[in-house]
Amino acid sequence: MPRLSVSPSSKPNCSLIGLICVFLGLSATHTHAEIAITVPEQVSLLANTNTQQLSISWLGGAATTFDLIILRTEFNETVFYGTVSVTVNQVSGRHEWNWTSVEPLECTSLSVRIRSRDEQMTSDWSDTQILQGSDLPSNKDTQMYPQDRIVPVGSNTTFCCIVAEGEVFDSINYSSTVMNATRLSRRTYATTVVNQGPSRSTGTNVLCFTRLRLSLMGAVVFVGYPPQPSDFVCETHDLTSAVCLWNKGRDTSLYGRKRRTRYSVNNRDCTDSNPLQQQKECSVPQWEGNWTLVAVNPLGQYSLTDSAELSHRVCPVAPVELSSVVHAWNATVQWQWKYRSYSSLALVCQVELTAAGYKKKRTITGVGLRSAVLSDLHPDEDYSVQIRCGAQQNFWKWGTWSKPISFKTKTDVPDTPDVWMWSNRDGTGQVIWKPLTQRQSHGQITGYDVTFWNPEENRQHTVILSPDTSAVPINLTQMAYFSSDNKVIATVTAKNADGMSQPASVSLHLTDVEPIAVSRAVYTDKGFPLLWQSNASATCSFVVEWHETSCTYDCPVDWIKVPAGNTNVSIESANFQPGVRYTFSLYSCPSDSPELLQRWQGYTEELVPSGSVSLSSSQQGSDILLTWGSIPMVDRRGFLLGYNVYISNGSQLTLLANLSDLETRSYTVKGFSMGSYKFTVKAYTSAGEDTGTTAFITLEPYTDWLILEILASLGILSLLLVIATFICYKKRKWVKKAFYPDIPEPKLPSDWSSAQGPMDVRPSPHSMVHIVEKPEWDSSKEVLVVIPEEDEDDEGQGIGDEPVDTDEPTSLRYYNQVVDERPIRPRFPDSSTSSASSLDSAHTDVTYTGIQTSGSSLVFQLDPQGSSEGHQPQADHSVSCGGGGYRPQMQPRAPSDDMGLASAEHLLEPQAACSGGYKPQSSWHFDSPMEAEERGSLAPSLGSPTSIASTQFLLPDGEEHEEEKRQQSSSAATWFTNLLSSTKP
Amino acid sequence: MSERRTRRGTGSDLSRTTAARAAAIAEQLHHECAILLELYRKTENFPADVADGRLVSVPPPSSQLDTRDKLWRLHSALLQCRSLLERAIAKEEEELGGGRKGEYENQRKMVKERLSLLLINTGELLKAADGPAILTPSLEGLELDGPTILFELKLWVYRIFKEVDYWTKMTITTLKGLPSVIVKEPARTTRARRSTRR
Repeated sequence: MPRLSVSPSSKPNCSLIGLICVFLGLSATHTHAEIAITVPEQVSLLANTNTQQLSISWLGGAATTFDLIILRTEFNETVFYGTVSVTVNQVSGRHEWNWTSVEPLECTSLSVRIRSRDEQMTSDWSDTQILQGSDLPSNKDTQMYPQDRIVPVGSNTTFCCIVAEGEVFDSINYSSTVMNATRLSRRTYATTVVNQGPSRSTGTNVLCFTRLRLSLMGAVVFVGYPPQPSDFVCETHDLTSAVCLWNKGRDTSLYGRKRRTRYSVNNRDCTDSNPLQQQKECSVPQWEGNWTLVAVNPLGQYSLTDSAELSHRVCPVAPVELSSVVHAWNATVQWQWKYRSYSSLALVCQVELTAAGYKKKRTITGVGLRSAVLSDLHPDEDYSVQIRCGAQQNFWKWGTWSKPISFKTKTDVPDTPDVWMWSNRDGTGQVIWKPLTQRQSHGQITGYDVTFWNPEENRQHTVILSPDTSAVPINLTQMAYFSSDNKVIATVTAKNADGMSQPASVSLHLTDVEPIAVSRAVYTDKGFPLLWQSNASATCSFVVEWHETSCTYDCPVDWIKVPAGNTNVSIESANFQPGVRYTFSLYSCPSDSPELLQRWQGYTEELVPSGSVSLSSSQQGSDILLTWGSIPMVDRRGFLLGYNVYISNGSQLTLLANLSDLETRSYTVKGFSMGSYKFTVKAYTSAGEDTGTTAFITLEPYTDWLILEILASLGILSLLLVIATFICYKKRKWVKKAFYPDIPEPKLPSDWSSAQGPMDVRPSPHSMVHIVEKPEWDSSKEVLVVIPEEDEDDEGQGIGDEPVDTDEPTSLRYYNQVVDERPIRPRFPDSSTSSASSLDSAHTDVTYTGIQTSGSSLVFQLDPQGSSEGHQPQADHSVSCGGGGYRPQMQPRAPSDDMGLASAEHLLEPQAACSGGYKPQSSWHFDSPMEAEERGSLAPSLGSPTSIASTQFLLPDGEEHEEEKRQQSSSAATWFTNLLSSTKP
Repeated sequence: MSERRTRRGTGSDLSRTTAARAAAIAEQLHHECAILLELYRKTENFPADVADGRLVSVPPPSSQLDTRDKLWRLHSALLQCRSLLERAIAKEEEELGGGRKGEYENQRKMVKERLSLLLINTGELLKAADGPAILTPSLEGLELDGPTILFELKLWVYRIFKEVDYWTKMTITTLKGLPSVIVKEPARTTRARRSTRR
């Protein structure tokens, strides 16, 4: 090793010398390093393309640490760069290091360089060693790597595609998946598939596509599992050789000649031809006691061992050549063994008996068993038997079942029929029995014999029936021998080719007239549990019969016989239906003297009623009565718990009442006003309500009361009328005076009637009275003008043509404002008693002397002032004022002699002088309402007495003065007051 | 490829019937081949336009060929197809088989059996046309070993299926182009032909 030496020198040259020394020293040090670290030489590359491992060896001198760099040659991309410690292989004397490539080594060329390292000092790089890839230009075809690779599930694999010269890479597909590719070289592209799943049996294709698709290249990869067999065990069948069995375990997904799993047992090839078979088997000629199973595939191997003594692993083969000896109630099965060695083997065998679909196993033991006796068989029944055996000592496992052997037992007499009876309430009924099953018949049934006999009288009667019969109708009331002591026994026997069965008897009985109390039976998952009281002295058995409760006549009945001493039974039947009520009856001593002990009813499942009540509604006064009928038993489908009464309001039902008393089938709805209502009644069980029945009703007024009210009103009215009539009758004089006063007889100054004839009051044909009305009284102008005859042309043509002795035209003209234009005729004094007679009179009886002013003019003054004097005008007043004039109705004044009517002239002169003068009764009638208002209402005239003939008010009008008007306006009240006062005593 | 044939005589009615039957079988085989190819393409994710190139070698078609030569050429190709198909099936089973059998395996078996039936009919037809001369095509030189790389093996199998399909179509075309009455020509001596790849 060169040393650094420093020599003394002169002071001025000291620094120069020092520098030289340092330079020399450094140079010496560098020379020393080059000598110690050698450059690796003879680098050699050895590629294993299957494992993608590159073995690199070189001569590296004494160095133990090297830097390695591996590059893709074409693109000069570093694939690996690192420092590794490598020892010299003592055999070859070379340094060796292995590198595993992620990519197949064929994908592209790799360049390798190595340098030695001693801590921080390194040698020069070795010469580059190139591993030639398959993408050399000389290799022009498309290629794909790796080919036929087998990898475990879950691994990652990198595939590379070298496209052909002149073609352009397009894509790499893994199965149908397009992968992302990386370019490794000019022609090479690679992709990595991660976490690969199991491939199918023919592997997974990796395809490389070029743009032009001139050629297709690809590779197949197989992804699977190493073998993992299980349950390896060896046994013997022939007591000499060994048969080893195992389960192949999970599917390796590796198939084909080179990938399938190969098995060996104790180095004997046990690979079978069917790789899909799950249970594997391999025979070894001799019992070796220890076995080793080795399972191998390209991904690994798995070993299993087993060891045992032969006697502990005996698995007998299946018995062969089975035969049988058959009887009615038993049979014997015989068989042979394949190996004679079994004759001394203690065996335990299973005999499996199959009859009518049911299997039953029996076990028998013995040395070298070759037969088995099968007892407790049934006559005339098909059986199938198969047998398997095992070693009785050190039992290992059952051997294989033999092939089955079939036989049919022989026939025998039938079993005793199960007999019962059904009686209706009318004395009829049936003797019934359950048809014998195949197992009970013991052969083809040829018929039944039914015998009725009376043990007391020892009389009997037999009926022979066909084999398909299971009931005989009876009429207990018509059985002569029954009526004697009420005891007849029916005996039934079944027949087949082998003979008759034992007889089955039942004592015939009438149905109890008085129904027994019925309890309720609740269904459970084990049926209807029925309990009854124990009778210690009872030695008889029982029969529990049941039928649908809704059935009453010749019902389909089922029954079960209960041995004596039992106090409970659970009834279950496949025929039970939900929503059907069943009646269960317990009878004692069924074959001797049946007695009904108890009765139950129950449902397997209660349902809502299928039918509804029949509902009707009626009105009772202001209430509504709802009534309904019961639901038939078959429709109830459960125990009725009550009824719900609803009122329908549109689509909603409002509960009115819940009636839990089943006997109550009516309901009165109160407090509803007039109108239409809809009621719904629903019966309910524990399962709920039925659909309900709806009734409509319209609540109407109570007509009886209406009629009563009308009658009462009429009665009261009639009573009032009677009272009024009676009062009127009693006060008829007053009434007459009030309403029909006598018209005073005209006072004549002399006796005209005797000396002179009646005065003709007809106006002079040569003059007419013309009333001239003036709003303002003007005595000088308002005068009664005698209209010359020639002046009447415009008022009534033809009058002048009338005969002059006819008074009617004259009267009409005179009373031209009267509604009734009939002429007012003067009445005779006695005409007041009969108005009709005055109407019929053809003559004018009244002579108006006051207006008989021939040749003179009279003026009727319409002076209110004058009329306001009152309706009791004084005669002198009239005379003095001239306003009263003639007033025939003034009866109080009539007898008065002060009237001054001594003569017509005397009378008429003051009248003519008085502006009031005479006023016709028609003056109350106005032509216009205005005028009526001015004059006052008509009402005051109502109380005025009127002439029957004239219909005119004879009393003065109220227009005379206002006070009188007021009095007249309440004339009705006045009349009523008068009526009351007149009725007073 | 070389082959020998001998001649036999037969009636024209029989020839017509045989030709019609052969054509019908070829139609059926063509249909079954199409299904088989479709199944294989789907199973192996092969594109439709892959693996062209003939495996069967027969004399090139020519308008100069008479009916007998056409039938002989056809029959020879079908015989090669069957040999290739049998070999492909065996090779596939050996290298890739062992898994559960499915629709593909059933269809492959059906095509193989139908091809054998077609060969019987074309053989009879050839006998009818060629008299006592018995066609004995040689399979010498036929590449029956198949590739060792499994992907190439798959491509090879696919090519064989396509070859069967192609020659089935050729059979249909040829049989439809035959004259209605196949005239029995004078007997010829056994001859050998040098086949060329199409």
